[in-house]
Amino acid sequence: MAEPEPTTAAAAPAPGRLRNAFGGVLCAFTLLLIGVLAFSIRLFSVIKYESVIHEFDPYFNFRVTQFLSKNGIYEFWNWFDDRTWYPLGRVIGGTVYPGLTLTAGSIWWLVNALNIPLSVETVCVFTAPIFSANASWATYLLTKEAKGTGAGLMAAAILAMVPSYISRSVAGSYDNEAVAIFALVFTFYLYLKTLNTGSLFYATLNALSYFYMVCSWGGYTFIINLIPMHVLLCIVTGRYSSRLYIAYAPLVILGTLLAALVPVVGFNAVLTSEHFASFLVFIILHVVAFVYYIKGLLTPRLFKVAMTLVITVGLAVCFAVVAVLVALVASSPTKGWSGRSLSLLDPTYASKYIPIIASVSEHQPPTWPSYFMDINVLAFLVPAGIISCFLPLSDASSFMVLYLVTAVYFSGVMVRLMLVLAPAACILSGIALSSAFDVLTRSMKFQLSKVFNDGSAVSGDSIAEGSTASNDTKGSSTSTVNTNSAKIENRTEKSEKPSKKNRKKDREVTGSVPVKPKKEKRLSVLPLEASVVGTLLLIVLGGFYVVHCVWAAAEAYSAPSIVLTSRSREGLHVFDDFREAYAWLSHNTDVDDKVASWWDYGYQTTAMANRTVIVDNNTWNNTHIATVGTAMSSPEKAAWEIFDSLDVKYVLVVFGGLVGYPSDDINKFLWMVRIGGGEFPHIKEPDYLRDGQYRVDSQATPTMLNCLMYKLCYYRFVETDGKGFDRVRGYEIGKKHFKLTHFEEVFTTHHWMVRIYKLKPQKNRIRGKLKKLKSSSKTSSTLAAGRKKNPWQ
Amino acid sequence: MAAPRLPVLFLLLALLVVACRGEASGEGPRGRKVLVLVDDLAVRSSHSAFFGSLQARGLDLEFRLADDPKLSLHRYGQYLYDGLVLFAPSTPRFGGSVDQNAVLEFIDAGHDMILAADSSASDLIRGIATECGVDFDEDPEAMVIDHINYASTEVEGDHTLIAGDDLIESDVILGSKKIDAPVLFRGIGHAANPSNSLVLKVLSASPSAYSANPKTKLASPPSLTGSAISLVSVMQARNNARVLISGSLDLFSNRFLKSSVKKAGSKLSHEKAGNEQFVTETSKWVFHERGHLKAVNVKHHKIGETNEPSMYRINDDLEYSVEIYEWSGTSWKPYVADDVQVQFYMMSPYVLKNMSTDKKGVYSSSFKVPDVYGVFQFKVEYQKLGYTGLSLAKQIPVRPYRHNEYERFITSAYPYYAASFSTMGAFFIFSIAYLYHK
Amino acid sequence: MPKAAGDAKLLIQSLSKAYAATPTNLKIIDLYVVFAVATAVVQVVYMGVVGSFPFNSFLSGVLSCIGTAVLAVCLRIQVNKDNKEFKDLAPERAFADFVLCNLVLHLVIMNFLG
Repeated sequence: MAEPEPTTAAAAPAPGRLRNAFGGVLCAFTLLLIGVLAFSIRLFSVIKYESVIHEFDPYFNFRVTQFLSKNGIYEFWNWFDDRTWYPLGRVIGGTVYPGLTLTAGSIWWLVNALNIPLSVETVCVFTAPIFSANASWATYLLTKEAKGTGAGLMAAAILAMVPSYISRSVAGSYDNEAVAIFALVFTFYLYLKTLNTGSLFYATLNALSYFYMVCSWGGYTFIINLIPMHVLLCIVTGRYSSRLYIAYAPLVILGTLLAALVPVVGFNAVLTSEHFASFLVFIILHVVAFVYYIKGLLTPRLFKVAMTLVITVGLAVCFAVVAVLVALVASSPTKGWSGRSLSLLDPTYASKYIPIIASVSEHQPPTWPSYFMDINVLAFLVPAGIISCFLPLSDASSFMVLYLVTAVYFSGVMVRLMLVLAPAACILSGIALSSAFDVLTRSMKFQLSKVFNDGSAVSGDSIAEGSTASNDTKGSSTSTVNTNSAKIENRTEKSEKPSKKNRKKDREVTGSVPVKPKKEKRLSVLPLEASVVGTLLLIVLGGFYVVHCVWAAAEAYSAPSIVLTSRSREGLHVFDDFREAYAWLSHNTDVDDKVASWWDYGYQTTAMANRTVIVDNNTWNNTHIATVGTAMSSPEKAAWEIFDSLDVKYVLVVFGGLVGYPSDDINKFLWMVRIGGGEFPHIKEPDYLRDGQYRVDSQATPTMLNCLMYKLCYYRFVETDGKGFDRVRGYEIGKKHFKLTHFEEVFTTHHWMVRIYKLKPQKNRIRGKLKKLKSSSKTSSTLAAGRKKNPWQ
Repeated sequence: MAAPRLPVLFLLLALLVVACRGEASGEGPRGRKVLVLVDDLAVRSSHSAFFGSLQARGLDLEFRLADDPKLSLHRYGQYLYDGLVLFAPSTPRFGGSVDQNAVLEFIDAGHDMILAADSSASDLIRGIATECGVDFDEDPEAMVIDHINYASTEVEGDHTLIAGDDLIESDVILGSKKIDAPVLFRGIGHAANPSNSLVLKVLSASPSAYSANPKTKLASPPSLTGSAISLVSVMQARNNARVLISGSLDLFSNRFLKSSVKKAGSKLSHEKAGNEQFVTETSKWVFHERGHLKAVNVKHHKIGETNEPSMYRINDDLEYSVEIYEWSGTSWKPYVADDVQVQFYMMSPYVLKNMSTDKKGVYSSSFKVPDVYGVFQFKVEYQKLGYTGLSLAKQIPVRPYRHNEYERFITSAYPYYAASFSTMGAFFIFSIAYLYHK
Repeated sequence: MPKAAGDAKLLIQSLSKAYAATPTNLKIIDLYVVFAVATAVVQVVYMGVVGSFPFNSFLSGVLSCIGTAVLAVCLRIQVNKDNKEFKDLAPERAFADFVLCNLVLHLVIMNFLG
């Protein structure tokens, strides 16, 4: 572009700086608002229900946090919990990802140090919303690294309310993912930042942030595989730079060391296949770096010679390493992969081999509606975002595309990983929206200015428009509200001092992004009408998205699942049976009593009832779970023996047949059979199915009708309505009148959702064989009763 | 009842009674108040020797007719008696609030009973026996007949007076002094399921015995024959309630206690039948004057320490001790045996050791905690024939090493330490060299 | 073969020549890198002989060396005057980053060693 005259150049920076400062403030303010939005949209659960911990896993995390805040970090690190997995116990410190609890624990500690007396529970409830605000800021930074401020703000705003993320981070949903998504996005941001700047400082931060991620969630393997993939991609596409080396090599070394510090990961950080990719790429990177280095030193001819040398040596080394790795991998039975990772790579793996993984609903593949539910319009914006990432393709934007592609695959395998997809989708949609607005507003301005300026300085203006537009996107969120004001602002500015501005902008543009903008501008001028319509459509789309998100946050994802509600004509019904049952347990049973239930309720029982459980949601010991599954699917006597051998005093079942609560134990029962049958072959699934159909009505198999689960669930059920009509399954139960011989009912909650049984003690005496005596003695006693009256009369 | 108008006094009296009770029961394993139910008060005199021996041992007997309408085993939720002697074989029903279930509940509440049947045993008595695991011959007319081992005190007879000498070999039940003379028995036989581990045959019939109606000819083979017939059985329920069931009420009678006995075909004639010794010793056992063990002072600690930890670590060395005493009828005496075992148990015993005793009641054993963490239990399961069962379980978690309990400064790792420190040193040297090389 | 040998000779010569032209500070770094890598190799050999029992110590020992080397290479890349990518990064800043990174590394190593 034309060189600016020295005088104007000297005068130019002042308004420019002002504009930048104004943009910065606006940007910061917008970010603040986004944070507030992210926080407050997650408070529906607190407002609609109450400030409680939700679901299952959060209860465990809550309990761990309580322990941490009470006993300090060292005790927590070495915590051996004897209240779960009786009698095996569980080494909590060594099997838990401590990131979440440490975070909440330190928040609690900090808050208390400031003399703000908050309970641990309150802190836990609000950890997730706080971190989703953080996550949206991290998204802003990440997208800014890739595509500039406008896209960053857009992406942050979208992420703040993406339903998929809301589902895991409403207030009370105190789970690992709540902080992990922040850590994930932030690690990616620091990686890109390092990649863009080549600064060791950021590399260090990146490693630390990776450490935080490792602490927080098992999903860290996604990072340690995605980044090597990106590095490899860069090398293959010839985009190697020494910045890449700085971004990657220290991360691998420091990250591995730091990951090995987390007890739950430990030596896995170097021994399992999930991490091998990073080491392999690390070696390749070194070879490549060395080659580039030599290349810099030598003349081309000699370089060729050196190349052959290096390549032969390098290949030899690579082969050696690969051979060693393959040997290592082959020597382990699961090929070095954990079951969960394997089920990621081979979606059918879990259902084939590990029923316990397959039994968890969040490990199932998602359905299409769930995509629409969870990311909504983003699904349509993402392709646009990908295209936008390719114009122009930078290291950062290629990373985004790679991230998205892998995340889409993983989310297709497991519903739970939809959560990983959400940030990617948000970022790319943010990019797409931002560039779309960019193009539309620019062409609008161009067209408008044509109208105003009567085509006097078309060429100059078009350039000016482009640059101001790009400035706008930098300064403001390109949000829909701003378009009008920007237009006006632009017009007025232009009328004041067009020439100065133009030149200044020119220089800026040429300085920062050489040549390209001009070409883009020329291409992307659209007719005024089209651009206005387009903008409006985008605004409508955005509005639709916001409405959907708020609906999702308010209705779909806020239920704490510990308290249920239903609306009927009489009004709101609250089912608080779970807490009722746990409170009963904690008040009416001995402290050391063992409570057996299906593992779903293990965490809640330990946390809320403070009773020892046999199995819980940390499904680390398949045999133990299978034992409980077998007991539940055995007839009463066999079940009693199994439970007695485990010192169980109480058995807890969840039954939804009376109120129509579908996720009860009868519906989960087939999994118990499967898991039990996996370890104990005398439990056979077909015995419980009639012609391949699972049913508990009169068509059900005798095995089904005699198993413990059926009996415990439907004991005395017929007394409720006289027919025994199960409202979940929608038919009358098969066996209505029966007695329990080895168990006795001790507590049933108000809506029959939780039923607690006690194991009867062994009989004090063993009866003789004679049966008929009993009946005759009975008759004699009735006779006696009949006769007894005589003396009195 | 002394002063119904002075409730305060009454209350005091009641308190006094309770206090006395408490003291008494605190001493021995069982209280001393026994209800004797008889068909006919004549039994009181015809069996006075037996009752006398009970009373001589301090038991407080209360005689009631079985169909006494005011009969009651408990009042205000408290049992009035600590034992029951049921010498009412022919009673068809009990009076008052007592029925079969009441008696069984009485046993299940941890009380003892002596039950004697007869050839006229009613369904009620048979029912109680069946519930205790003993089946009397169903034929109401049947008696145990033995044409070889009968007592030849009578000149002629139908060989229903049996001189039984097939006694259980247990010092606990029958006392340490051997019963030489045969035990006279006349009544009905019963059988116990051999798989029933709670019932013991104390006095079995000889192989030549059978159970049939002595007045008629045998029409069909008798259902109970040979040594499967038990004449006297005892049952110790899982809660250690003891029940003695005899098919003969006469066994306890003065006549049998005092009579001399000569077994048919045997030259040896005994001055006195073994009955007296037999009933005295078995009643001692039934009323927990013998063979009642108690375990107290369960202690465990690490070797070299004295206080009990709430948790052990794997590979800790620990010591477990328990004191076991036996009630001798008058006082708690140290129990001496060499077969008391302790288990360190988690789903299966990881450690199973005999405990050594110091002959003063203290049993102890020391062992190393296995290299497995989990919630273990110290278990002492001591079920010895005739003794009350001891079943002690104490839960104790075993934790893995803490992070700072692993071995440090392993020799073979010294090169690594050296390397780490050398790189650290090199880093400093390098920094200095790099900064000042110009 | 002779041609290859000649090439190799030529290669080594020109390499050493080219290398001689590198500034002293880079040479110091190179020396440092060589030292670290050598230590790492020694440890790996030792592990092969003795076995990998205190695996954490081995890991921390080797990774500390490799880490040091990698960081030094990063520093070398950044302070290399020939490298155009880092013109606006002051060598002092680069060195400060390097020190920070090393501190973190050694802190972790110390933590992991025992």
